[in-house]
Amino acid sequence: MGLLRDWNYIEAATEIPALSEMIREALIHALFVRNDRVLPREIIADLTRAPAVTVKVKDDTDIRKLVQVLNGEESTLSLGLPAEDYNYFRTQLGVGKDREIGLTVRPRTLLTYDWLVPEQRGVQLDFSAFAALTFPEKGHTVLAQMGTPWKTLYDEAIAKGHLVPTVPTVPLSFAIGDAVCGDAPLASYDGEFPAYVNALRTVSAFGHRTRVGFEEASNNGTGYDVLHATLPLAPEFYIPVEVALRLTPKPAARKAITYTYDDPAKLSAALDKLARTSLRFPWVHVADATAAALLRPSIAPDPFTVQVCLAGTVSGLPGREKALDAALAGFKLKVADVPNPYDVSAADYDKAAKRIERGLFVGEIRLPAASAGDLATRLKALGQQVASKVGFFASLRASGTLSSFPFFDHPKDRTHIYDLSKGVARLVEKIPGAVFVSRLGHLWNEDPAYRERMRLFREIKLRFDSPHVLEPLVRP
Amino acid sequence: MANTDYAYRRLVNTLGPERVARTEFDRMVYSHDFASLPKIALLQWRLYPDFVVLPQTTEEVSAIVRLSDESGLPIVPRGGGTGWYGGAVPNRGGVLVDMRKMNKVRAFDPQARTVTVEAGATWQDVAEYVDARGLALPSLPTNAMASTIGGAINSDVVGFGAFRNGATRQVVRDLEVVLPDDRVLHTARAGDAVGSYADLTPFFFGAEGTLGVITAATLRLDPKPDLMKPVAYAFKGTEEAATFIQAVVDSGVQPYHLSLLDREHFVFERALHADSPEPADLVLACLAGPKDDVADQEKTLDALAPKFRGTKRPPEEPEYLWDHRFRMYSARRMSRGLIVANNVVPLARLPEACATARRLIRRMKLNGAVHTFPMDAASAILAPYVLTDDTTPSGGTALGYVKKLGDAAFELGGHPMGLGLFMVFNLRTMHGRAAPYTAYVKDVFDPKRKVNPGKTIEVWTKYTFPGLRAVPPPAMRVGLDLAAFFRRIKPTQDKFVRAYERRKEVE
Repeated sequence: MGLLRDWNYIEAATEIPALSEMIREALIHALFVRNDRVLPREIIADLTRAPAVTVKVKDDTDIRKLVQVLNGEESTLSLGLPAEDYNYFRTQLGVGKDREIGLTVRPRTLLTYDWLVPEQRGVQLDFSAFAALTFPEKGHTVLAQMGTPWKTLYDEAIAKGHLVPTVPTVPLSFAIGDAVCGDAPLASYDGEFPAYVNALRTVSAFGHRTRVGFEEASNNGTGYDVLHATLPLAPEFYIPVEVALRLTPKPAARKAITYTYDDPAKLSAALDKLARTSLRFPWVHVADATAAALLRPSIAPDPFTVQVCLAGTVSGLPGREKALDAALAGFKLKVADVPNPYDVSAADYDKAAKRIERGLFVGEIRLPAASAGDLATRLKALGQQVASKVGFFASLRASGTLSSFPFFDHPKDRTHIYDLSKGVARLVEKIPGAVFVSRLGHLWNEDPAYRERMRLFREIKLRFDSPHVLEPLVRP
Repeated sequence: MANTDYAYRRLVNTLGPERVARTEFDRMVYSHDFASLPKIALLQWRLYPDFVVLPQTTEEVSAIVRLSDESGLPIVPRGGGTGWYGGAVPNRGGVLVDMRKMNKVRAFDPQARTVTVEAGATWQDVAEYVDARGLALPSLPTNAMASTIGGAINSDVVGFGAFRNGATRQVVRDLEVVLPDDRVLHTARAGDAVGSYADLTPFFFGAEGTLGVITAATLRLDPKPDLMKPVAYAFKGTEEAATFIQAVVDSGVQPYHLSLLDREHFVFERALHADSPEPADLVLACLAGPKDDVADQEKTLDALAPKFRGTKRPPEEPEYLWDHRFRMYSARRMSRGLIVANNVVPLARLPEACATARRLIRRMKLNGAVHTFPMDAASAILAPYVLTDDTTPSGGTALGYVKKLGDAAFELGGHPMGLGLFMVFNLRTMHGRAAPYTAYVKDVFDPKRKVNPGKTIEVWTKYTFPGLRAVPPPAMRVGLDLAAFFRRIKPTQDKFVRAYERRKEVE
């Protein structure tokens, strides 16, 4: 599931004389959509080698043993297999001696798509049964096992007097581990998910329990911030098992207020103005009519909906609401009783998630809030061009950035995903200050600075994972 | 290795004679940071650089790093020299790169709300620049007047505004870095999210100049709050004041800044400035936001304070304190030296942490004050300071306090901040089995150990022959434990305030 592995594979493949004449993008296309007519047999074989075993994790000891077996340090007997040695394990999995074999983490829910190069006949870890939460007696932190559903964490935290600061911009049934090993878009108005991660409990490439960061406090001033640098690529550096998150105190009063807009220009101006105030909110979310209809099918959607969560003291809320009304001037309607997607029952949350997950998501567009209307107009045009219903979920940041996730009403096949990703990437190029952040977008990136950064990450990964067991790099 | 005269000529050819210094005095000035070192340290390290250079452009920094291949001299980058643990001090001489001439604003984008500044600019200068253009830096180091952009990033500092807007690391969007192989690299794509794929920036937070030379940074800017209002509350004791801070955080109020300064701090301040507030355990809060919101925050704090036997101070006191917030350590004038012990502790254990800091000050017969502030809803900075006189034999032993408080921070679930040259032994305690990861990163960025070598992950000495070239980190730990022991058996308590007042009377 690793971006580094995909990137490394493409870098290596473009060095092959037979493929060096193909432009990089054509190769990525062929790899992504599995165009077997243009790919050599060896590459097709690599792409076909799916993980041989899925292990349902119940305890981190299972992972430690697996790592040690894959390292050849321990016999497979400890796994309960009738094996005598490491070679037996390889034989069982059908892996040749010349091929690296490793572990990968399967996310519970993927927003976009799977990676290009699968774990080569290795072991896939399923954390769905590893889902306990530990709240300390004092303080606003939690230790969540990777498989804990986000919604469970959210509800339990509220019951214990905390608030989970990061909510999914696209409310799918994510596990908390999906923000570490997958692509769950968790964020708050103040920042992104990594800013709230204090530590990870991991299993290292040597099978040791290794804590990265500090569970009860931030890791400032403790040498290089390895935790936050490796977090987006975490499973390629270690196997994350539990995540220590910073929470916020549950405010005395909370209220979600919904504003609707019918004009994209007014929406842009309002969001830009809002982000230029010194007001603070837990989250500010934007949905177009298609997205709003999925979230709340019983309410006739307006072209654009902005939902703002206000939090604070009971006496302070009216003042904040007044300031919010002024900042979001230009709205068509203001409604206070529209339910927000998160404070609903788990069954209702899952029901909405099931409706939303049918959409084909391609990645994230980060753009200045002032360009929100421009994005909506361009997405609509793209939808007409590809004969698809299009919509978007978005969340606003205090920095003035709008993080939006467009989706299409198309079957989720790889060809459609690729073409629509390309379409979105082209669209983004026309919006000043906008960036398309997706795994395909990263693989397309040929900027020398970006490639140098990835090269450095690869070197660091190879040192962290010297036994080559954590999503080992693959060469064609 | 080429001789130093050759290296000097090459440096002069690159920068010009006015920006290369090698006189004894210049070198002496750069042989320590904010904490001066006892002379005995010269037995272990060559703290005096061979040269001090002042580059003005990224190309010049790149050329200096390239020259290191010829001269074999290590490169030590330095900002304002406001660090505490020798991170910007040479351990084997070499070329000290003073970045303060690289202090220009390269780009200001009010639409994207970013500013790109060179690493040698001070935080206060940048704050004033953006303030004049209607925006604000989200947070500022506590020593913003002298602390440079690059220095604070390298130290991963947390300061004013962090509680509401995030620490320095949340402010940085991208860095321009000269790598040890003299290439210039941008660590991130400015438009990407923090924590996006292929973002090397976090490696440089707390790197103490050991991975490369930061030459410029793109910083996030925030809108200026409509109103900023400082308020202060006095308490009967430090623990009550710390509990009040916890209660404010639990109430959900988000002041721009919230800090505790204990009675001793004001005793020192009073000795130096007659207009300083009456000594008391004070909590200073700076409230920010729209006018109504600030009023509501103040009402909440006013209602909370009496529950902890706190009383509100007249408005001129918090205003005075807020105006003087960057002059936290003026007590240094009384003693010639001052050491700050920076730690991160869980906010849930703040009262205990403050009590420990105070107890250690007393037990080690020091003069010192407790200063603490929350950095988010889960962590707090505990930064007590102690006064020292480095001209006396017992002066350097005050570093034992830093060691002992660091140990206490570990026990509380937190950690000390900064490794530098003296605190490397903490790396293993901090990270346990993850400690080697730090070395892996250094190996990839700087395999030849050219930039600020022998720190953060290891402790080099001035000697290059086997057996003596490095100090095992546990030996440093023993040394500081000994220093702490000598402090404890010292027969008399330090009396800097009384001595200062006596001196004042004589004068």
